[in-house]
Amino acid sequence: MVRAILFLVTGVSVAAAGLPEKGRQILDRHCVSCHGPAKMAGLDLRQRDAAIRGGGRGPAVVPGKPAASLLIQAVERQGAVAMPPGKKGLDPAEIATLRQWVESGFEWPASTGAAEPSWWSFRKLQRSAVPTGASNPVDAFVAARLRDKKLTPVPLADRRTLIRRAYFDLHGLPAPVEEIERFEKDEAPDAWAKVVDKLLESPRYGERWGRHWLDVVRYADTGGFETDIYFPNAWRYRDYVIKSFNDDKPFDAFIREQVAGDEIWPGSLDLEGGFKIPDEKQRKLEARIGTGMYTIGPVYHEAALFGGQQRYEWLSDVVDTTGEAFLGLTLGCSRCHDHKFDPLTSRDYHAMMAVFATSDEREVPVIAKFNIYGYKSGYPNWLKVEEIKGQIARIEQGPRKRAVDRVRARFDAAALAAFDKPEKDRAPDQRALAAKVEEAMTEAGLKENAKGRAFDSSYTADEQTRRDKLIRELGEAALRANPVMQTATVLGPADEDYKVHLTARGDWRSKGEEIGPALPAALDAERRRVDPVHRRKSLAEWLATHPLPARVMANRVWHWHFGRGIVATPNDFGRQGDEPSHPELLEWLAAEFAANGYRVKALHRLIMTSETYRRSSAANAENARIDAGNVFLWRANRRRLESEALRDAVLAASGSLNTKMGGRPVIPVLSPEEYSTMWARNQWPESMDEKERDRRGVYLYVKRSFAMPMMTAFDSPDPSVSCARRDSTNVAPQALTLMNGAFTGLHAHRMAERIAKQAAAPEWAGRAFRMALGREPSAAERGRASQVLGPAPDEAALARLCLVLFNTNEFVYVD
Amino acid sequence: MCDKTLIARSRREFLEKSGMGFGALAASWLMSRDALAATSGFAPRKPHFDAKGKAVIYLFMHGGPSHIDTFDPKPALAALDGKPVPPSFGKVDFQFTKMDKVPIMASRRKFKPRGQSGIEISDLFEGVAAHADDLAVIRSVHHDGFTHVTGQNWMNLGWPRVGRPSVGSWVVYGLGSESDNLPAYVVMLDGGIKAGAPSYGAGFLPAMYQGTLLRGEGPPILNVNRPKDVAAGEQEKMFDALRFLNERHRETRADDSELAARIASYELAFKMQMSAPEVADLSRESEATRRLYGIDSADTSEFGSQCLMARRLVERGVRFVQLYSGGKKGSEVGWDGHNECEQNHAFMANKVDKPIAGLLTDLKSRGLLDSTVILWGGDFGRTPFTDGAEGGGGNRNGRDHNPYGFSVWMAGGGIRGGKAIGATDDIGLRAVKDKATVHDVHATLLGLLGVDHKRLTYPFQGRDFRLTDVHGENDLTARLTRG
Repeated sequence: MVRAILFLVTGVSVAAAGLPEKGRQILDRHCVSCHGPAKMAGLDLRQRDAAIRGGGRGPAVVPGKPAASLLIQAVERQGAVAMPPGKKGLDPAEIATLRQWVESGFEWPASTGAAEPSWWSFRKLQRSAVPTGASNPVDAFVAARLRDKKLTPVPLADRRTLIRRAYFDLHGLPAPVEEIERFEKDEAPDAWAKVVDKLLESPRYGERWGRHWLDVVRYADTGGFETDIYFPNAWRYRDYVIKSFNDDKPFDAFIREQVAGDEIWPGSLDLEGGFKIPDEKQRKLEARIGTGMYTIGPVYHEAALFGGQQRYEWLSDVVDTTGEAFLGLTLGCSRCHDHKFDPLTSRDYHAMMAVFATSDEREVPVIAKFNIYGYKSGYPNWLKVEEIKGQIARIEQGPRKRAVDRVRARFDAAALAAFDKPEKDRAPDQRALAAKVEEAMTEAGLKENAKGRAFDSSYTADEQTRRDKLIRELGEAALRANPVMQTATVLGPADEDYKVHLTARGDWRSKGEEIGPALPAALDAERRRVDPVHRRKSLAEWLATHPLPARVMANRVWHWHFGRGIVATPNDFGRQGDEPSHPELLEWLAAEFAANGYRVKALHRLIMTSETYRRSSAANAENARIDAGNVFLWRANRRRLESEALRDAVLAASGSLNTKMGGRPVIPVLSPEEYSTMWARNQWPESMDEKERDRRGVYLYVKRSFAMPMMTAFDSPDPSVSCARRDSTNVAPQALTLMNGAFTGLHAHRMAERIAKQAAAPEWAGRAFRMALGREPSAAERGRASQVLGPAPDEAALARLCLVLFNTNEFVYVD
Repeated sequence: MCDKTLIARSRREFLEKSGMGFGALAASWLMSRDALAATSGFAPRKPHFDAKGKAVIYLFMHGGPSHIDTFDPKPALAALDGKPVPPSFGKVDFQFTKMDKVPIMASRRKFKPRGQSGIEISDLFEGVAAHADDLAVIRSVHHDGFTHVTGQNWMNLGWPRVGRPSVGSWVVYGLGSESDNLPAYVVMLDGGIKAGAPSYGAGFLPAMYQGTLLRGEGPPILNVNRPKDVAAGEQEKMFDALRFLNERHRETRADDSELAARIASYELAFKMQMSAPEVADLSRESEATRRLYGIDSADTSEFGSQCLMARRLVERGVRFVQLYSGGKKGSEVGWDGHNECEQNHAFMANKVDKPIAGLLTDLKSRGLLDSTVILWGGDFGRTPFTDGAEGGGGNRNGRDHNPYGFSVWMAGGGIRGGKAIGATDDIGLRAVKDKATVHDVHATLLGLLGVDHKRLTYPFQGRDFRLTDVHGENDLTARLTRG
């Protein structure tokens, strides 16, 4: 299919040219993306001499001798190398052309007229011509493919289905029953467009679509691994993402801010000007918080690993995430070796590392300088806190000292003298004496102790009284102290000019040639220079104007709407990724996206007003025989709610949803079983305000070393790497979570309480269905409901009915 | 978790490709177990080649047990005791210890030849040693992760970082499940583990392949108990009503196998509510069996209960069981003998030796050992010299982490025991002979189950990933199963 696309996009016609031209066109089309500027395996097929000279495997072409030419052996897939990589080789006709060309002397044509990179996703955007026959271009492109495949689209969905789909899609929340009914009655021709507009204007939109982006940038509130350090300001980046979607920030600006907000909008952030930060600075600050994307990745914080390795791991994470998020390419492979399928070399990878190597994370205050001084005036309260803590620590030494003394009392002076001597000064005979004391100390629980013994740490009455009093004073002092000063964690220039070296198989210790900052050769036809100081700025400007990020984002938007991208592998636009199902549509969408100022909301409107989006999810056996996976969109895809949407839907149905936005992560209460698996229980300080626990899923604490069981059960992504596409599984633990778990149980009760307050028992079932499913129950369903409710229904029985409704396929799936 | 593949991308597509069209599924919402298993991704699958092993019990000694005090005798250490490390052994990095600043510490344990085979095992594991002729000890395992999390990740995920599936996830992804009412992959902890949930996580595989935690106390599986305020009869009515509503919903959506699979998942959940408490109820075992595992004694009752539970799970078709000894509990440090290693190991070994020996005995007498692969290991081994950085905490008779050479052992699953493979150098610092990477151990584990580690792949980030990455050349399967 890819070959077909290229013909379409470039309009190159092989038949019109002579043999050398034909031959070179084939090389350009299939080979030069890797064996061009990227010189994979040392081979460059852009010049005759270079082609003959070949690469690491020796000469590629022996003019006049096709059988002896590595190039021919490779395309015929007969020798040690099979090219191009992937399952599909060249067409037999193309192979024959190459063969003839080499046989006839491998004469080199002046030019093929094609300077473009050969892999489709690396080329310039070409706005495809819209096929005729439909008012919405999306429909025109889709209809053309349906006709090709002899598929008949199913009818449009009914209004109830549509509005429910739109709410979950744009807000991740169920449509309120009043909205469903209003839309059903709205006869205006623009009724649907109004629904879409209204949804896009709500801040709930940014929470939903921001969460999608957070998957892509592997968002978390902690660093993972054993220490799992807490990122106090990760939430500012999360809020920045939500705001960016709500503001409909142009996607190119979104790229610029995240990659180089500080370098593109430089200038002082001292934030002078009284209490209020001037608007211009507020904007600068926001741009800089965008760079927080690079401060929320996994942090390998372990003793003895700090320094070089930590830095190398950070740079790897940064390059991998940039590659997947913006370029839709898996650069990660090139950390250890040249990419096997895409024209990305280990040199490119390290050059991209070098782009970030002069940057490091910084904490900057986010309040006006005037207020910073205010904080500092209050600081002595913290000194008082520290003083009291010191005093308490001294009291706490009492029991330990007594325990030590008890052990010491069992030994003679010689043993104690040996024990008290520094290890290196002990005489040989003293070592054994000291060891005995050591052992006794361990036994008494005064050292780390395998038997889990702890020394007797009880206080004397006097110690106890003094300690209690100090703890009260400590609390008072802490209450009077200011809260922690507000800062943001962003990127800025590093103190040290970290040099990047080529490494052997990704091992940071193996320092090869030093590599300077550069853009990936195969993607950068113009060979742009990277500014040696503002390196990220060069990268950001390049990304923001390169066709690949536009394609990748347009495809992501499509993927999040339909559950499947036009390229079904949204993080892989390389050779290992899937080929686009609607290549012309993707080109057109990306071109349109770029031409309209990279406005994501405009894309939503375009897509959602299409008939393609509004189709029903109904079955059609005829179509299913041809396209069971609905790749060509003859119907809508039925989709299971993601973990956050499911949780939010329960909160909405029970009437508990707290729509407060932003701020520190919400830390929900877990069950004792859940806590028992946590390494450090104190790293889960629950949100004590109960209302906080009813906030949307996007605000939940994302702790890398402890995924919330309810969220992982429903396939929330592992934040160790970028996630383009979530799983959607159906397994028994999910059923147990919803049927027996504390969360759904609590909300079933809340919902029951709410209904019981509003209505008398005969109306309960109807109300419950309306609140949970947005509709009235049928007579048969009412009958079943009354079996759950029993002959004398009480609130507990109603709660059971609500719980059943949360568990239904109808609740969990969107048609 | 993060979908990268066709299997989970669309069950509809998967079904179509596996030849189970709409007709078959539309016929009835109540699917056969096989159909459910097929759609749920847990259908028992044929291995690549014939092998005896069907299930795995992975005994993980959290903290890192010292090989030179257990399964790798180093008589040369006696003469070097208290002396600096001879420079001929070279220098390597450790988490805390600078090896040129600390003295050699010989093992205080007695090793002796065991069984017919004469494998030397120390007196820390007298019970296990009685099974020496069933064991294959691999004394040359090595990796490069000298901190707990990296070591645990190596042993569980096959690399030092996170993001990859655990061994158990690969196994159940490859072989599916033989049980229709218990999870395919069960993990039992005795406290918090340092590397946390990723140790039994599914990484980039679909989340359904992650390990399920099973507990000895309280609800055995998270949420497997009915809510306290819902009576059994009431919940049955709820399941009935749910089935009814889902059936009605499916009337106009009969083609959708995902909806059917979800209905079936409630059937399985309902069964699991019955079977999980049953499997966790050890009072159903005879007094003699309970004694065999040491459940009657305070020291051994916890790990003994886990071992017995492991047998009960394997008996019921569970594919992969992992047990931990040495998780965080109060001020206990597990097998992490930085301080008074001898005292630490005596304490820890005492907790697990009898239960493991009991497990081996019990599996054998029930004819289950042949079909169950036992793997014993930990984060890494420990150093032959004392623990402590320059100016560190004095002579603590402890040992630091040593990933450069250590032992694991395997038994069952067709292994012809009584073998010791590979060797560390004379002081047990590094693997030197017949070296086995963690990939090799993993390749062997898969091999004993009939799975070719090179063919068990999953597409992720643009390539087909394996548990063994691009390694595992020293697959020991053939050597272990030969006479």
